[in-house]
Amino acid sequence: MSEQTGTPPPLLSIENLRVEFDGETGPIVGVKDVSFTVNPGETVCVVGESGSGKSVTSLSLLRLVEFGGGKIVSGRLWFRPGGEEAMDLAQMPAERMIDLRGDRIGMIFQEPMTALNPVFTIRRQLTDGLRRHRKLSATEADARALELLQEVRLPEPEQRLKQYPHELSGGMRQRVVIAMAMACRPQLLIADEPTTALDVTIQAEILGLIKRLKREFGMAVLFITHDMAVVAQLADRVVVMRHGEKVEEGPVERIFTEPQAEYTKTLLASVPKLGEMRGKPGPEPLRIPGQPEPVAPKPPTEAAAARPVLSVKGLTTRFPVKGGILRRVVANVHAVEDVSFELAHGETLALVGESGCGKSTTARSILRLVKPTAGDVVMDGQEVLRLDPGALRRARRNMQMVFQDPFASLNPFMRLRKQVAEPMLNYDLARGSELQDRIAFLFDRVGLPRDFMRRFPHELSGGQRQRVAIARALSVNPKLIIADEAVSALDVSVQAQVLNLLMELQADFGLSYLFISHDMAVVERVSHRVGVMYLGRIVEIGSRADIFENPRHSYTRTLLAGVPIADVTRRTLKESAEFKPLPSPVFPVGQERAAPVYDEVSPGHLVLQDD
Amino acid sequence: MVYLVNRLLLVVLTLFVISIVTFGITNILPGDVAMMIMGTQSNPEALEGLRQSLGLNDPLIVQYGRWIGGLLSGQWGESLLFNEPIAPLISQKMLASGLIVVMTMAIALLLAIPLGVWAARHRDRWQDTTSSTAALLGLSVPDFFIGIMLILLFAAYLGWLPSSGFVDPTEDFFGAVRHAFLPSLALALGLMAHLTRMTRSAMIGILNQEFIRVARAKGLPERTVVWHYALPNAIGPVMTVAGLQIGFLFGSIIVIESLFSYTGMGWLTYQALLNRDIPLIQSTVFVIAAVVMLVNLAVDLLYRVIDPRIRLG
Amino acid sequence: MRKFLSTKALIGLGLVLTVVAVAVLAPFFIPPERATQMVMTARLQPPSFDFLLGTDQLGRDLFARVMLGAQTSLTIAVLAVGMSIVLGLPLGIISGYYGGRVDNVLMRLIDALLSFPILLLALTISAVLGPNLQNTIIAIGVAFTPFLARIVRGEALRIVQMPYVEAARSAGTRDLQMIVRHILPNVMPALIVQATISLAFAVLAEAALSFLGLGTQPPQASWGLMIQASRQFLDLAPWTALVPGCALAITILGLNLLGDVLRDVLDPRAR
Repeated sequence: MSEQTGTPPPLLSIENLRVEFDGETGPIVGVKDVSFTVNPGETVCVVGESGSGKSVTSLSLLRLVEFGGGKIVSGRLWFRPGGEEAMDLAQMPAERMIDLRGDRIGMIFQEPMTALNPVFTIRRQLTDGLRRHRKLSATEADARALELLQEVRLPEPEQRLKQYPHELSGGMRQRVVIAMAMACRPQLLIADEPTTALDVTIQAEILGLIKRLKREFGMAVLFITHDMAVVAQLADRVVVMRHGEKVEEGPVERIFTEPQAEYTKTLLASVPKLGEMRGKPGPEPLRIPGQPEPVAPKPPTEAAAARPVLSVKGLTTRFPVKGGILRRVVANVHAVEDVSFELAHGETLALVGESGCGKSTTARSILRLVKPTAGDVVMDGQEVLRLDPGALRRARRNMQMVFQDPFASLNPFMRLRKQVAEPMLNYDLARGSELQDRIAFLFDRVGLPRDFMRRFPHELSGGQRQRVAIARALSVNPKLIIADEAVSALDVSVQAQVLNLLMELQADFGLSYLFISHDMAVVERVSHRVGVMYLGRIVEIGSRADIFENPRHSYTRTLLAGVPIADVTRRTLKESAEFKPLPSPVFPVGQERAAPVYDEVSPGHLVLQDD
Repeated sequence: MVYLVNRLLLVVLTLFVISIVTFGITNILPGDVAMMIMGTQSNPEALEGLRQSLGLNDPLIVQYGRWIGGLLSGQWGESLLFNEPIAPLISQKMLASGLIVVMTMAIALLLAIPLGVWAARHRDRWQDTTSSTAALLGLSVPDFFIGIMLILLFAAYLGWLPSSGFVDPTEDFFGAVRHAFLPSLALALGLMAHLTRMTRSAMIGILNQEFIRVARAKGLPERTVVWHYALPNAIGPVMTVAGLQIGFLFGSIIVIESLFSYTGMGWLTYQALLNRDIPLIQSTVFVIAAVVMLVNLAVDLLYRVIDPRIRLG
Repeated sequence: MRKFLSTKALIGLGLVLTVVAVAVLAPFFIPPERATQMVMTARLQPPSFDFLLGTDQLGRDLFARVMLGAQTSLTIAVLAVGMSIVLGLPLGIISGYYGGRVDNVLMRLIDALLSFPILLLALTISAVLGPNLQNTIIAIGVAFTPFLARIVRGEALRIVQMPYVEAARSAGTRDLQMIVRHILPNVMPALIVQATISLAFAVLAEAALSFLGLGTQPPQASWGLMIQASRQFLDLAPWTALVPGCALAITILGLNLLGDVLRDVLDPRAR
C-alpha cells in the first residue's frame, strides 16, 4: 500500500489484537479486536477512561501483559524497525522478545515514585540495560549514562549517578526513567500515562522533554493517556478506546474538530478547556450531549456577598519534625502559613496549587481535623478555633467535607442508608419516617436510585460513591461544603457529571463551597473566586477573571502556562522546559517568615509581594 | 548516631519493663522461696527466721530493688536446684542454645528463601500450590512431634545421629554439631514453613511493583529481574520476620531441648520452672527476654545498614 | 488461585468442623470410663478391631482418649483466645484510637511483653500459678494478649486515618459511636483472621504445656500428655505417638487453612 505513494511503511501495525485475562468464571477480555498503526517519527495518542484497555494494549506490545496474567489470544503486532524485515511481536519467542525490549522499543510508566529500584544507585539502573544490549564496558556505560542524564536535562548529572532513587523528586525520577528508556536509542517509545502522577508544572516539563527527544532522535511515540488536554498538545494522530475496543481513530485536528463517534463527543464535551470561560460572569456547568440541560448557580446577591459565611485570618498550621535524643522539635513543616480569605454566602472559592502547597491542610485546619498553630477561623459568627469539643461538634454541622478518594470515604461495612442518616442522627435532626423521607429525598437529589439505600459501598462505582458522600454532606443542611479534590479521582465523563451536580446543588440550596483542587481548568469552570497557593501561602487571590485573565504573580503565570489545554488550535507546549526544583517547606524552629504583604491591584485582587 | 542513642535509651527502658514483668510474674506465686528451700512441713519459726534473713518480709519494691541491684552488679545469686552460682550456669547454657538457634536459622533461611522465591515466581501455578501446601503442613505439625519422629527415624531406626545429650562446642565442635543437629532440624522445619510463606508474599508484593515492570521493559532476563532486582528488596522484610521468630524459637527450645535432653537454656528454664527454683526462674526468664529483644535490635540495625532508604535518609 | 482457594476453604472448614463435632459429640458417645479404664492385659496393643487405634502403656483405649482429647484441646484454645480478645481488643482500640501519650505508654509495655517468647510466658505463668486446666487457660490467654492488642492497635490506627472516619467526625459523631460504628466493624476482619490463627497456636501451646507437664494434668485426656507418655515406648509402640500427633496436626492444619482463607477473603491489606 505504501511503496507506490512513497511513504515509508508503518513502524508498528497492530492488527486485530485480542487480549484475555483469567477470571473467576472464564476469560475476561481486556482488549478485543483493536487495530491501528504508528508511523516512524509519529506521535500516536491512545486515549480512554479506566477500563478502556489502553494500558493493556501498550503492555501487549512488549508482551509485558503476560506477567500480569494476560494472554494475547489473537492478532498480529507487526514491528518494522528501520528498513528491516517486519516481525510479529505476538509470535516472537520469549528470548528474542527480551533482546528487543529496551533496545528497539523503550517504555515508560505512570508512577515515577516506584519506577526505580530503591536499593540500587541511578548509575546501576541506567547502565544495566546498556551493558546487556550494547555489550558496553563499565566505563563506556558510565560515560553513556552521564550523557543520557544530560540529554534529559537533569541538573548535576555526575552527582545523580551516585544517588539512590529516594533522594530524587518525582519529576527527577521520571527524567531518569525516560533516560533509561532512551538508553539504546529505541525507534519506538511507549509512554503509559507518564505524567498522570505529576504536578502541572512538572508535567509540562516532562511533556516538553518527550516532544524534544522525539524530534531530535526521530523516534515514534505511542502515548497512552486519559487526559484529552495532553492529547491535544502532543498527538499527531489519536486512537480513542472504550471497553477494550477502538471507538475512533484519526488525525488530532479532525478528532477534536469533527469527532464522529458519540463517545468521543461526550468525552470532549466533558473536558473543561482552560480559557473557554473568558468573559463569562459566573460558574457554568458543562453541556454534555445526551444529558439534560444543566442548571447554573445564581451569582451571590449583593447582600449575601457582603456577609461572609467563612472568614479566615492568619491561619497557620505547622507540623513538628522531631529529632535528636530527647525527640524535641528540631524543625517545622510550614504547611499553611498566614493564610487569610473570606467566603461569601452562595459563593465558590477555589484554592489551587500543586501537591504540598498546603491547600488540603488549609481545609482540614478550618474543620479542625488537624490542629492549627495560629489564626482565626470565623464560621457564621463563631470562632471555630476557640470552641470547646462540644461546641465544635455543633459548629461542624454547618461545614461538611467531601473527600478525594471515593473508595476510602465511605465505611465499607455500613449500608448507604445508614451512612447518609448518621449525621442527622448525630444532631438529632430527624427521626422515624421523617428521617426515611429525608434520606430518600437526598438520594433523589444527588441522582441515585432509591434502591441503592440498601446497598454497601463496594457495590457502587467511584462516581456513585462520590454522590453518596455528597448526600451525606448535604444531610445536615450545611452552609459550607469543603470539597477536597472531590472530583480528581474520577474519570472525565463522571467528573463532569459530579461537577454539574455540585453547581446545581449550589443553585438550589445557596451553598458555599471551598473547592480545593489542583486542576486549573476545573477551577475555572466552577469558581467565583480563586486563591492560588504556593508553599503554604496564598500568592494571589481574586475573582476568577482576575486570576485567569489577568494573573499578576509569577507563580500564577507559571502554573497557567503549564496547564495543557484541550484545544488543538492552542498548542502551547514548549520544548525548552527546564528543570525547576521546588523549595522545601521545612524551616528550623523559631524561624518566622515575615507576614505576607499583598498589593491590591484592583478591588479584591490581591497579589503577594515577593520577599 | 542520634538514632542509635535513641534506640539504646529505648533498650534500657524496655529492659526495665522486662525486669518488672519478670519480677511481677514470679511474685504472684502462692508460697515463697523460704518454703521452697525448707519444704512445706518445716516449723513456722524456722521458716520465719529464713524469711527474715532472705528479706522476704520487706515490701515488694525493696525486694525488687535488691534483685535488680544484684543483676546489675553481677551478683545473680545461687540456684536452689543446682546449688551453683546462676551467672556462669546461664552463660554456659546460653552458648549451647546459641548453637541450636544459629543452626536452626541457617537451615530455615537457606531452604525458605529459594523455595519462597520459586513459589512467588510461579504464582498460582503448581509450583506455588506445592510449596504453599508443604509450608502449611510444616506450620501445622508441632515441633516436638517432629522431634519425636526424627528420633524414631534417625536415631532409633537408622542410628545415624545421637538422639540426646549435649557436647560442648569448645571441646568437640563436630560432636556438638552432631548433637545439635536433630533438635535444630525439628525446630527448623516449622520455622522454614513460616519463612517460606513470608518470602513468597514479600516477593509477590515486590514483583508487582512498577520498578520490576521497568526492569523487564529494559530487556533484562527474568532470572536477573527476580534474583537481582526483586530479591534484595524482599530480604529486608524476611530478615525482620526471621528476627521476630527468634522469640518463638526461644519458646520452642524449652520443649525441644527437654525432648532431646540437650542441656541448654531451654532445658535449664524447664528445670527451674518444674522445681520452682525462683531465683533461677527470674534470671533465665529475664535473660531470654533480654536476648530476644537485643537480637531484634541487631536485626533492625542491620536492616538500616543495608537499606539505602534508611541508611541515608 | 480461586480454585486453590476454594479447595483450601473446603478442606480447612471440613477439618475444623470434624474436630469441633468430635469435641462436642464424643462425650455423648464415648463413656468416660472407656478412656480411663486400664486393661492391664492389653497394654501397648497395636490398632485392632477391639481397640481401633491401639492402646497405651496402661492399656487405655487410644481411640477414646484421642476423641476426648479434642474436647480438652479445643476448650482450652477457645477460652484462652477468648480471654486474649477480651483483654487485648479494648487495649488495642484505645491505644490506636486515642493515640498520643496513652498509646505511647501502652505500646512501650506491649513491646516489652512481646520480648517474652509466648510459650515461655505461658509456661512461667502456669508453673507459678500451679498447673491445672484453669491456669493453663489463663497462662495461654495472658501470653497471647500483647500480640493481639498490637494487631488491633495497628488496624485501629489505620482506620482512624481513613476519610470515612474524618467524614464521620466532621458530621458530629462522638467517640463512643465512632468506635462502635466505624472502628470496631472495620477491625473485625483482621481480628477474625488473627483469632483463627491464634486458635491454631493455642492448640499447639496447650499441647506443648501438657507435654512438659505444666498444662493439663493426668488423668485428663490431652494430646500433649499422650505424646509425652509415648516417648518411653516409641520403638515398641510408635502408634501411641502417631495417634495424638496426627490429631494435633489435623486440628492445627484445619485452623491454619481456615485462617489463610479468611485472610484472603477478609483482610483489606491482602486484597
